Amino acid sequence: MSEIWTPPYPEPGSANDAAFIGIGEIPSGVYRERGFMAQIVEASARAIKDAQLSHTDIDQIVLIPCLHGIPDQADLIFSRVAEELGLHGKVKSSVMVHSGGSTSDNATRMAAGLIASGQARNVLVVYSERWGSADLQDMIDMLSVNGIPREWEAPTGLQFNAIGGLITQRYMHQSGSSAEEMAAICVALRDWANLNPNAMYYAKKLTIEKIVNSKMISDPIHAFECPFLADGAGAFVMTSATEAAKKQDAWVRIGGSGGCVSHYAAGQDADLGVLGWVEAAKEAYEAASWGPEDADLGEVYDSYAAVLAIALEGLQISSKGEAAREFHKGRFSPGGEFPLNTNGGLLSAGHTGVGGGTALLIEGIRQLLHRGDDRQVPNARRCIVGGTGGSYMDAQIMMLERATR
Amino acid sequence: MATADVLKDTGYIQNDTELTGPFAAALAKGNLIVQKCNDCAALIMYPKYRCPACFSGSLGWEQVSGAGQLQTFTILRYGPPSTFDVEAPYGIGIVKLDEGPQLMCRLHPGPDGTWDHYVCNQRVSFAPADAAEIAERAAAWFTAA
Ligand SMILES: [Zn+2]
Repeated sequence: MSEIWTPPYPEPGSANDAAFIGIGEIPSGVYRERGFMAQIVEASARAIKDAQLSHTDIDQIVLIPCLHGIPDQADLIFSRVAEELGLHGKVKSSVMVHSGGSTSDNATRMAAGLIASGQARNVLVVYSERWGSADLQDMIDMLSVNGIPREWEAPTGLQFNAIGGLITQRYMHQSGSSAEEMAAICVALRDWANLNPNAMYYAKKLTIEKIVNSKMISDPIHAFECPFLADGAGAFVMTSATEAAKKQDAWVRIGGSGGCVSHYAAGQDADLGVLGWVEAAKEAYEAASWGPEDADLGEVYDSYAAVLAIALEGLQISSKGEAAREFHKGRFSPGGEFPLNTNGGLLSAGHTGVGGGTALLIEGIRQLLHRGDDRQVPNARRCIVGGTGGSYMDAQIMMLERATR
Repeated sequence: MATADVLKDTGYIQNDTELTGPFAAALAKGNLIVQKCNDCAALIMYPKYRCPACFSGSLGWEQVSGAGQLQTFTILRYGPPSTFDVEAPYGIGIVKLDEGPQLMCRLHPGPDGTWDHYVCNQRVSFAPADAAEIAERAAAWFTAA
C-alpha cells in the first residue's frame, strides 16, 4: 500500500506563491469574421492590460489548445503566438498543455509550479476556439472520434451527446430528479448568462417549458439541454505574490487543488453518476483547509446539466441526489443562496471547446478580483473551480482565494 | 541485413489488432469473451496490454455468461457519426457483467420497435447480432432479460 502523501502547498504570503493578476476575454458566440489568431492576440492584450503589465513583461506563454482544427493547433505548438505578440527573442518558452475540458486546471497548476520554482516571472495563459463557426457535421464527427475508444466504443455509435445521455439517465435514476428539475439547471445558467454581455445567450431567455418541449436528442437529453458550440477567447496572467504586491491591491491565489482521473472510456467508469469528484474534493479540501461551507461561489464545468449536478454533489456543495432539485428551488440562480457559474457556464455562455472550462476559471478570477460588474458576488473571497475533460474522465478542483496587499 | 535476420521481439501483445481481434472473432461466432490474466485470474474489459491488477503480460481470454446489469442507457435520435452507417434512433447501454467487467454495448429494441422498456439497473443478457453486422461493427448486443 502506498503511503499517504500530503503535498506542501505554498503558504499564503510566501514570496513565490502564484497569483492571478489579470484577465481578458472577448464575447462568445458565432463570430465568423473573427480569426483564430486575432482572437488570441486580442484576449491576450486585454489580460496583459488588466494585469497592469506591458507585453514584454511576459516571459512564459502557456497555451490552451483549440479543437477546431490541426493547422491552428500547430500554430500554438510551434510558437506562432510568441511571434504574434512580439515576444520572440524575449519569452523563455511557449508551450501547449492539453487535457481537454480540464486543461485550465492543469495549465494553472503548471504555471503556478513554474512561478513557485522560480522558473517563470509573468505567465500568460490564453485560449482561442472557433467551434461556433466550424462545419456542424465536422464537429459531430470530431466529437465522435476523438476521446471515444475507437476499438471498443466507436462500434456502438457512441458520440458526445450520447455520453451526456448515458450520464443523465444514470443521474436521474439515482437521484429521482424529474425532467423539469434537470431543465431548471439550464435555466439557472441562462439567467446568469443574461447578466453577462460576453455570453453567447446574453440576450435570449430560456424556460423549463421551452426545454422539455424541445425534441429529444439522446434520451433523456433534449435539444435545449445540449451545449451550443461557440467561438471565443480568453486569457489570464499569473505571477508571484512578490511581483503582484508591487502593482496590485488584490490578486487571487490557489489555496490548494485536487484531482482524480476516474476513467478514459465512458463505459469503464465505476459509476457514471459519481465520477471522480469525491476523491478530488477530499484532496482539494484538505490542501486548502477550507471547504464548500466556506465558499462564496463556484465555477464548475457544465457541458451537460447532469455533469454539473454530479460534480456539485461530489464537491458536497449539494447533498447527495439533491442538486437538480436545489436548482429548481433557485439556490444557484442569480439572487440565490450560492452563486454558481456566474458567466452562464458552457451551457449558456457558449461551449468553446477546451476553452469552456477556461472561461469558468477566468470568471472565478474575475469575481475574486471584484471585477464582475452586474453579476458581482458581493465581497467574494473564496471560489471553488471544477473542471473535467473528455468523457468526464477526470475531476479537477482549484481552491481560489482572494489575497490583498 | 535481410528482414529474416532481424531479431523478433516477442512475448507481448504488439498492437491493437492482436489485442481486439479475438473479441471481434468471438462476437462473429455469437460468443462473448473477456480478457483473463493467466497469472492472477483477473477478468479484464477492455483488454489491456498488461493486467491492471498484477501487471502481468501473460493474458488470455474467457467466455462469460452474458448475464449482467444495465448501468445506464440512451437512445441516440439525432447526429450519428458520419463514419457510423446506421440510421438513428439506436440504443446504447453500459452493461456490468455478472462476472465483474463492464462494457459499452448496443441494445436491441423491444417487439414494439422502441427502447422504452429499459430502466437503469435492470437485468439484461447478451443477444448477439448476426455475423454481417459484427463484420461492420464489432459491438456486443444485449436485450432485456
Ligand atoms: Zn493479473
